[in-house]
Amino acid sequence: MKFREIFRFELAYQARRLSTWLYFALLAVVAFLFVRGSYLADALYADFFLNSPFVIASTTVFVGLFWFLLAAPVAGELAARDVATGMHPLTYTAPVPKAAYLGGRFLAALVLNALLLLAVPLGIMLAVYASGVDPEIVGPFRPAAYLTAYGFLALPNAFVGTAIQFAWAALGRRAIASYVGSVLLFFVAYGGMIILGIFVGRQDLAALLDVFGHIFITSDAVLGWTPIEKSTRLIELEGPLLRSRLMWIGVALGTLAFTYGRFRFAHHAPGPWWSRITRRRDAHAPTPAGVDVARTAPISVPEVRRTFGFAAYARQTLAITWTSFRVIAKSRGGLVLLAGIALIAVRVLQENMESLGTPLLPRTEYVLTFLTAPLTSFLTPWVIIPLLIVLYAGELVWREREAGLGEITDAAPVPEWVLFLGKFLGLGLILAAWMAILTVAGVLIQASMGYDRFEFGLYLKVLFGLQLPEYLLFAVLALVVQGVVNQKYLGHLLALVAYACILFAARLGIGHNLLVYGSAPHWSYTDMRGFGATLGPWLWFMLYWAAWALLLVMAARLLWVRGMETGPRARLQLARGRFTRPTAGIAAAAAGLVLSLGGFIFYNTNVLNEYVTPSERLERGAEYERRYGRFANVPQPRLAGTRLRVEIHPRRREVEIRGTYLLVNGTAAPIDSIHVATTAGVQTGAVTFDRAAARVLADDDLGHRIYALREPLRPGDSLRLGFTVNVEPRGFRNSGVSRAVAANSSFFTNDFLPAIGYQRARELFKPGERRAHGLAARRMFPSLADAGADVTGEAGRDFTGAGRVAFEAVVGTDADQVAVAPGALRRTWTQGGRRYFHYATDAPIGNELRFFSARYAVHREVWNPPADAGRPVAIEVYHHPRHAANLGRILRSVRASLDHNTRAFGPYPHAYIRLVENPGSGMGAHADATTIDYTEGFSRFNPGDDPKALDMPFAVMAHEMAHQWGVPYAHAEGAPLLSESFAWYAAMGVVEETHGREHLERLRRFFRQPTPIPPIRQSVPLLRAMDPFAAYRKGPAALFALGEYMGEERVNLAWRRLIETHRSGAPPGATTLDLYRELQAVTPDSLRYLLHDLFAANTFWELETERASAKQTAAGAWQVTLRVNARKVTVNPAGVETEVRMDEWIPVGVFAPSGQQGPEFGETLYLRGHRIRSGAQTITVTVPKKPSDAGIDPYLVLIDLERFDNVEEVDVES
Amino acid sequence: MELHIRDVSKTYPNGVQALKDVTLTIPAGMYGLLGPNGAGKSTLMRILATLQEPDAGTVHLGDLDVVRQKDEVRKTLGYLPQEFGVYPRVSAEELLDHFAILKGIPGKKARRKVVEALLRQTNLWEVRRQKLGGYSGGMRQRFGVAVALLGNPRLLIVDEPTAGLDPAERVRFLNLLSELGENSAVILSTHIVEDVSELCTRMAIIDRGEILLEAEPLGAIEEMRGKIWRSVIEKSALPEVERAHAVISTKLLAGRTVVHVHADAAPGPGFAAAEPDLEDVYFATMAGHIGRRRERAAVPA
Repeated sequence: MKFREIFRFELAYQARRLSTWLYFALLAVVAFLFVRGSYLADALYADFFLNSPFVIASTTVFVGLFWFLLAAPVAGELAARDVATGMHPLTYTAPVPKAAYLGGRFLAALVLNALLLLAVPLGIMLAVYASGVDPEIVGPFRPAAYLTAYGFLALPNAFVGTAIQFAWAALGRRAIASYVGSVLLFFVAYGGMIILGIFVGRQDLAALLDVFGHIFITSDAVLGWTPIEKSTRLIELEGPLLRSRLMWIGVALGTLAFTYGRFRFAHHAPGPWWSRITRRRDAHAPTPAGVDVARTAPISVPEVRRTFGFAAYARQTLAITWTSFRVIAKSRGGLVLLAGIALIAVRVLQENMESLGTPLLPRTEYVLTFLTAPLTSFLTPWVIIPLLIVLYAGELVWREREAGLGEITDAAPVPEWVLFLGKFLGLGLILAAWMAILTVAGVLIQASMGYDRFEFGLYLKVLFGLQLPEYLLFAVLALVVQGVVNQKYLGHLLALVAYACILFAARLGIGHNLLVYGSAPHWSYTDMRGFGATLGPWLWFMLYWAAWALLLVMAARLLWVRGMETGPRARLQLARGRFTRPTAGIAAAAAGLVLSLGGFIFYNTNVLNEYVTPSERLERGAEYERRYGRFANVPQPRLAGTRLRVEIHPRRREVEIRGTYLLVNGTAAPIDSIHVATTAGVQTGAVTFDRAAARVLADDDLGHRIYALREPLRPGDSLRLGFTVNVEPRGFRNSGVSRAVAANSSFFTNDFLPAIGYQRARELFKPGERRAHGLAARRMFPSLADAGADVTGEAGRDFTGAGRVAFEAVVGTDADQVAVAPGALRRTWTQGGRRYFHYATDAPIGNELRFFSARYAVHREVWNPPADAGRPVAIEVYHHPRHAANLGRILRSVRASLDHNTRAFGPYPHAYIRLVENPGSGMGAHADATTIDYTEGFSRFNPGDDPKALDMPFAVMAHEMAHQWGVPYAHAEGAPLLSESFAWYAAMGVVEETHGREHLERLRRFFRQPTPIPPIRQSVPLLRAMDPFAAYRKGPAALFALGEYMGEERVNLAWRRLIETHRSGAPPGATTLDLYRELQAVTPDSLRYLLHDLFAANTFWELETERASAKQTAAGAWQVTLRVNARKVTVNPAGVETEVRMDEWIPVGVFAPSGQQGPEFGETLYLRGHRIRSGAQTITVTVPKKPSDAGIDPYLVLIDLERFDNVEEVDVES
Repeated sequence: MELHIRDVSKTYPNGVQALKDVTLTIPAGMYGLLGPNGAGKSTLMRILATLQEPDAGTVHLGDLDVVRQKDEVRKTLGYLPQEFGVYPRVSAEELLDHFAILKGIPGKKARRKVVEALLRQTNLWEVRRQKLGGYSGGMRQRFGVAVALLGNPRLLIVDEPTAGLDPAERVRFLNLLSELGENSAVILSTHIVEDVSELCTRMAIIDRGEILLEAEPLGAIEEMRGKIWRSVIEKSALPEVERAHAVISTKLLAGRTVVHVHADAAPGPGFAAAEPDLEDVYFATMAGHIGRRRERAAVPA
């Protein structure tokens, strides 16, 4: 009864509040905007309905995130209103049981929130059915779509969120504590998800933390849905979604139970939480001596002079700063919380400072990437800091008024600007303290991992110099909003909305940094490049926003609420009175700064450089195709040779290139015009020919020129084309500056150079984008069936395998830098204070050219081949002097690869191999002919000396080395099998040869993990596949399986023959069909089926050991009986499975106990092929020793995605 | 330094007219503003304390315009609001020191002296290190006084200061105020007549936004001499007495009812002349026997 009355009263009370309806309206608006902004275009492009279950579910999740932060005060208010209003002595003493009191209020909060979340379907329906939507993309109305999203996503979210918010507010006795609870849960769940999912790559753990359903909706499982699935498939409560729901509901129930246990109907004695420990003895205040009171006590307050000058105002500011800092620092959501967050971050990062299963060196530059995030980025756990800033700003602005000291303080002789500045500086001190905490956290991570190169200067620069100002800008905004909006929770709401606008501006189509408060082109720092030139643009934007902030502050000063006058008219009246000369002067100065800085930035981003919005960029691609697509099949000469003179001026960030192309007419017809594609962002000068030619067209906007030859180029003839290219920075762009050329290190490719012919790669390729621009559908890759001569007819740099060029270049750079380009180093000299390097290839290479210049340390050695296996190879490693930790491993891999690959696939075609470290934050490596370059991050791999650890840098480098034996392939379906799959297959051979079989198994186990490349089941056969799973996982596995069945030598032989055939690099390039032919040639008839299953069909084996048991025989041996299930299916891209009859040899293994933890088997007691047919069957084998594990295909040689059911523990029967 | 209030009016957005053409001149010394709850006292006090804007009228402190030159006024102002809170987790000493800085006492030494003197004065010295959250209502009130007294204000505004004080504290508090009145203009608003009668050299009675009487308490009492008559009656007789006479107040005394009646001559049997006090002045004013209410009633007649 009481429960019902409490519930009814609270619900009715909240329904009368304007804010409740405001939340509802806001959520509906957000849902509306989200559907219209995020999905309308997608739906048009990608053929799914705007009101499909997928869109409804995604919107429910994302708006749920908003609800979670915005509407936190709803539950907080219900939980803590009695204390806040001082009603609690009346309510607490009423004869109401705790369960009814808390339960009624919690239920009211839950119901209220559940009702608020109904705004989401309402907003979606408005977005779908209000005008402005093409009826084509509106599907039938399906109540189930809304109900499942609401029931499976919104309601659990409401329950979990309300429980946490309610608990924090009830136990914290303050409504605002609910917001702290929200922010904290947000950090743990969302931040944890991001760290685990994105940085660490443990999507499985991240999925469990998925409190909002966010991971679920962005997971491959859902994003990978086909348009038809997206339109029709309802979300189901199963798998990871069900698990995360259950886990969080459990957490919520636990929280509620804890709240019930801890809540007391009691007067709360104020005092910090630690006062229970340090209880004061004199808790009693002495009563004033009442007897003497009538006696006249002379007032003897000393006469002090009051001063009101600058010094006094400074002192006032300091006092307010200090108290502001202290009040936040000491509060529950203050430094303790921040330190706790930092501790969590330390733990998480320590545990997960690894990539691809390999530990990483915690270098300062790297640790800092985890500790910082731009204000405008939402894919970071540090969104918690702006959220806390919103909280702190509210607390500070409202501090006096909430304590009841507002009137006294307002009547004190303190100017408004002192009040504002003091509070701002207090908040700034908190943020500075946070930066200090982060510094300690970073050093702690490094120290705990045994790394001792702490770069305190770098911490200081990055955290205090770069990160802090961004937070300070936001702090100004939050304080101004709270100061101007004279309602705390409304202020909160608006500050959060402002933050959301900052985060999602780009999604709403506002991409220019001049329009989004606090945004700027990101700075970057790497060991090699330092900050490069990225600081300048960042700084200009920050100054611009600082001027805005000053303007905001002046507005806040005018509208600052002081005294009891809170009506808008009275405040405007007051503002008029406060608009004094100095105020006007400062405001005018700030406005002047905004205009002049903004003008300067605009001049840089939009006048000196072109500002292209994403839609303009698409339009440009479409226009290029519309205008010049008709030249796609015009015969063009083939690039056969390139000579360059490259002058790099690192400090000026300029490059001048003069070059000559040797073009050969490889076609059967005369060529009368040359099409030259120029690059945006660089200045391509005049193009000259060694024969009479006239420029017919020069479209520098779209980068296309046409030259007519007076005398056509006859088949087999060649001509020389000369060009100049200048790369020079012109101010900065909205995206900042190009990082290609920087003072400390430069790295660029032949993208700067003109290319020959129409560039198909510039065309739009997403089907939806093409349709939206009225372009006909096009195949992304030429199909294998078409992969005849015309594939290689597409001349140009984008189809790298298509042709090989002779290359020669002289590269000049600063005297203290080393420049690297393809080719053997012929000569180096110094001239005019600059250093020059002359490179020339000894054999034609693929036309992918990379140029480097930096202060490299160079390691050189020579690899000598076994007799009769080619010539010695010079190995050179150009690396950053401080990044030498992995040098030994890398070199070992290079030598081992030369050994193995020479033997397996033929001699290395060049006299040198060069490894170059390139500046950047990535960890990848890239192979071109004779040159392997790896991004700085690659040198962070730190496998240590654990013999059981996988030597990832070794394996990756072996993979890149194998690319040196890669066959020049045609641009056609299945090409990754020829490049990436081959490279991993070869690298597996190198790993096995160097580190042994056990180490290879470690690498194969890593390959079978679903991260970072998740398996794809619905696909085409390997011969045609283009996806990363086929390229990097299934392809190598198939080649390995074939090797296991018929011997590695045979597979290698096939490759060797294919490589021989294409050694010259002359077109046509190889296709997977050529490989298949070579493989067929070496495959015995008995294994033709396997070859077909692996490459010509998308086959999966489903092998399972149901039970393994063993019995000791009279002779003392052990008889092992396995019950196995076998099935083989092919899966087509639409997901249709077809079972294939099985009757083939598959290994069966029995193993002794391994005696240790881990996935390794013990001694092999039995491993032999058995004839396995489809279906269940029993296998019996006898082994000499007591077995521990047994199973079918124990090493997962065949393609079997269910990787844990092949082997079972053996039940020993007595 | 005199405070001149001229024709000040204030109407709240909900239509309540809190002040109607209030005109007062307040000299140095203690000035009492007496009126029932809701009379407009606090509104007037807040206007004087620069926290509210009058709709019309002017307020001058000496040559300072209180409405326009808020910043200047605040430099000489001490204000004790009717209701205020404290930061519960800060000690009295700390918070007083904080306010001393805000009130323009930047020097550390001077501040320490002032803070100590005020804490001793308000008898909070012993508990200066205690957190304010643990203070009783009276201690908190005294702390408020200490804050108001910081920096020797020339204008001190205290709004209902004695509400919630125990008798001893109240007396002590009033003593403190009377001392202050010697140096500054002290405006004390209250609904307790004794506060004014004990302390103030001048006073005004305010009701429904209007000043009904402006007087010196002693003079006003003197003028009432011979006009206040007292009778002790049964409660049941009250309606009849009220009908026949101008009753200004009724009180209970040992179960019987004491009525005070305002009359120029003895109203009849059972009535005895009473020694008038400020309470009689107050009630007579409220009932319209003296002061502006009477004047207004007299005009049309």
